[in-house]
This record gives sequence, structure tokens and C-alpha cells, in this order.
Amino acid sequence: MRLTLVIYIIFLAACSSKEPMHNTQSYVFGTLVDITIYGESEDKSQLVADEIIRDFQQLHHHLHAWRPSKLQTLNAAFASGKTPVPIDAAIANMITEATVLSIQSKGAFNPSIGELIEAWGFHNDEFKPTNIDQEKINHLVNAKPQMSDIVIKNGYAFSNNPAVRLDFGGYAKGYALDSALTYLQNQGIKNALVNIGGNIIALGKHGEKPWRVGIQHPRKPNAIATINLESGWAVGTSGDYQRYFELGGKRYCHIIDPAAGYPVQGVQAVTVLIAPSANAGVLSDVASKPIFIAKPQARVDAASMMGIENFLVIESEHHIYISPALSKRLTWLDKDAEKYAVEYDTQTQP
Amino acid sequence: MTHKLNHRLLLGDWLVIIASVVSIIFMFLQFWSFEQASKLKIRQGNQIIGTYDLNQTRDLHVHGALGDALISISQGKVRFKQSPCNNQYCVHQGWLSHAGEVAICLPNQISLHLIGVKSNYDSLNY
Repeated sequence: MRLTLVIYIIFLAACSSKEPMHNTQSYVFGTLVDITIYGESEDKSQLVADEIIRDFQQLHHHLHAWRPSKLQTLNAAFASGKTPVPIDAAIANMITEATVLSIQSKGAFNPSIGELIEAWGFHNDEFKPTNIDQEKINHLVNAKPQMSDIVIKNGYAFSNNPAVRLDFGGYAKGYALDSALTYLQNQGIKNALVNIGGNIIALGKHGEKPWRVGIQHPRKPNAIATINLESGWAVGTSGDYQRYFELGGKRYCHIIDPAAGYPVQGVQAVTVLIAPSANAGVLSDVASKPIFIAKPQARVDAASMMGIENFLVIESEHHIYISPALSKRLTWLDKDAEKYAVEYDTQTQP
Repeated sequence: MTHKLNHRLLLGDWLVIIASVVSIIFMFLQFWSFEQASKLKIRQGNQIIGTYDLNQTRDLHVHGALGDALISISQGKVRFKQSPCNNQYCVHQGWLSHAGEVAICLPNQISLHLIGVKSNYDSLNY
């Protein structure tokens, strides 16, 4: 009897054990930032988390697409002609990296279509259904702004195309994840999890176990599945459920196909899991977009074009597709989703 | 020693053993398998407004960046009932009941985070 009671008490004690875990939240980039640090003192964790949030706020301030910012000044210069203007070194590096990724995605990821995003009304903290101005959309698509129109030389920049309008909405959060990871490592932090509006990067572990993240169901309040995020891995989702408006019974999400000039229809969420690399955070933000924008039969190609092995596509409640690599790493929570999930054939694709 | 003890187990001992095992099984199912949440943490901006027991029926007014939001707790579940935000995504998200589930009203900077004995995950990708 005593033994039973002892087991019982140990069980209860295990339930209530307090972990050396520190969590900080703040609102930056128009979204929720959540930093969890494990295994450090409360004071040090708070200090490091506060510094990261300050860095994020500064980055957001510099890159703001619709309020006075360094990026807005640059955009104004691009629009007004080909006179080179001085460019911030950090922004020059971002443009260079984003240009490489834009070319790799064959233009599906294109941060130079800021005017198009504005035309759809997404340059607002609180956007409303926008009347669709077809003429304007045609004009903006035909102007063909490309990242490669931007020329950077000796600390100066100009654009060969006055239609280029930078909007780093699909890049900045990923860039911030990479810089946060570097900062955490430089500060000697061994274990942390950084979540910027759903884009997450992991460092170390949660005690003895890897960090584990839930993937939000695009239409239900619960998580659809979980994945373990080993140290250095990142995860990101492009969804039609975070920023959208409805007009005439149709949903218009914030992810716009640069070639069509229209918000993408027919897909609810694309999740990518990224292996450790110097820009794992950026890839977690960027790489889901070309898969989201691609036609259903071209999604596997879009993923391979971006070098992505682990991805999940939710087109609708009963149309869920997953790469074989991610299928091995993912644990379903939603039994309906598990039933309908189909593995992509990634072998027979050209 | 153990052998001797076993022979002395009486009806009362067995009742305690059975009651303990039943309660362990009950709690295991309740908290480990279904991960039903027991508490709710409400934050506004970077401040924790409070941690509330989910097993009650109660409406809470929380003052956010835009104005007052009404959060409704009802026996194990919670939702945004009213919010001054434009898109009402938070209200449309509906009831949350499992540990780890999150509802965020970005414009009003209010988040609801459900806490249980054990969550399926540390953070949510959305």
C-alpha cells in the first residue's frame, strides 16, 4: 500500500514540477512575437529577450511598407527615376538575398510588388474589403517589377524599373528569426524557441526533449499536427486565414500571385519545415509562397525548386497533401486530417 | 518482509489501492490523452492580465489597444465573445478547449493561451 501511495505522490509531483523556462511576448511586425528561453536564470532570459524584441522593433521600423521608414524613402527614390541614392548596408544585404530567392522561385516570391499589395488594401493595420480595380491591377502586372531591376553599387542603389516597390512582408519575419538565433547563440543561450507570427526557429532543446510545435488547423481552433523542431530547424506557414477579407462570398487572402495580380484561391495553408542553415528563418518565411502560388500539379516542382523536402499543403478539408519526408516527422492530432492526408509522389516528378 | 506484508493486506488496503489506481487512470485519461486545458492565460501587449481557472462560467472585460474585449469562459472552454477589431477573426475562431490552443486578436493585442497539465506542443505555427 505504501508503495502505491509513493507512486501516486511521485505521479502528482511530476505533474506540477516547475521548469526553468522563461517566456516573453510582444507585438512587433503587426503580429505576436513569443520568445521562450529554457535553462537560464530569469534575469538573463529577460535581458536577452528584451534585447531581441528591441532589435525586432527597430527592424520593423526600418522596413515598414506603409509608414515613414528607410524602406519607404528607398521606394520613393526607385519610383522617381534612376538617380542612385545612398542605401543602408543591412537593407542592401536583404535586397541581395531576396533577389537570389526571387530568381530561384522564378518570380513567385517577389517582394517588389508592393504597389499590387497596396492596391488590394493590405497596406493597412485594419484592412477592409477593397473594390477590385481591374484596370489598376492590369497596369501593375504589366509593369513587371522584378527584384533584379534593383542595382546596388558602392553603397548606392537605383531601380531600372520605376514600378519596383519593396514590401518585405514575406521576408522580414524570417530575417528576424535568423538574426535572433545568431544573437541568442552569441549570448551563450543554449535552448530557446522564437515564434514571430507563427514562423518559428529552435535552438537546443526543451530539457531532455526536442522543442515541439503545433501546426494550426486553417479552419478549426485547434492544432492539426505537431512536429519536433530540432536545434537550428525552422518552420513557417503561409495561410489564407491570417490576413484576408471577404467580398461577394469569396475569400481574398494576402498572398498575391505576381503573375496574375490576384490573391491566390484554392489553398488554405502551406507549411514548410527547414533544415538548419544560415538562412533557415528566411527560408521558413519565403519558401512556402512559391508552393502556395503554384498550380496544384506544380506544387512538388515548386518545392524542389526552392530546395524544400518537408512540406504540407492543405487545399481544403478533404484535400491534404504531404511530402514523404515530412510525413515521417509529423504527428497528426486531427484524426480527420490524418484520414484525408495523401503523400506526394516526389520520386516520379521530372 | 514484502511477502509477510502481502499476507496482511486487508479490505481497507485494497480499497485504497483500487481508489488510487482508478484515480491515476482517470487523471491519465483526463490530462495526458485528451490534453484538456485547465487554465487560461490572458495577455495584453506584453503584460499578463491574469491566469484563470477554466472550470467556471464567467465573462471578462479586457482593455486592449483598441478598446474593451469581452472574453467568455464557460466550463472548460473560452472564446472571444466581443471585440472592437475590424475583421473579427478572434471572435470567429470560436471556442478553445485544449491545452496549447491560442487565440490572438492582433489589432487589440490580446491573446488567450490555454494551459493544461501537459500540452502537445511548446509553440504554435500558424
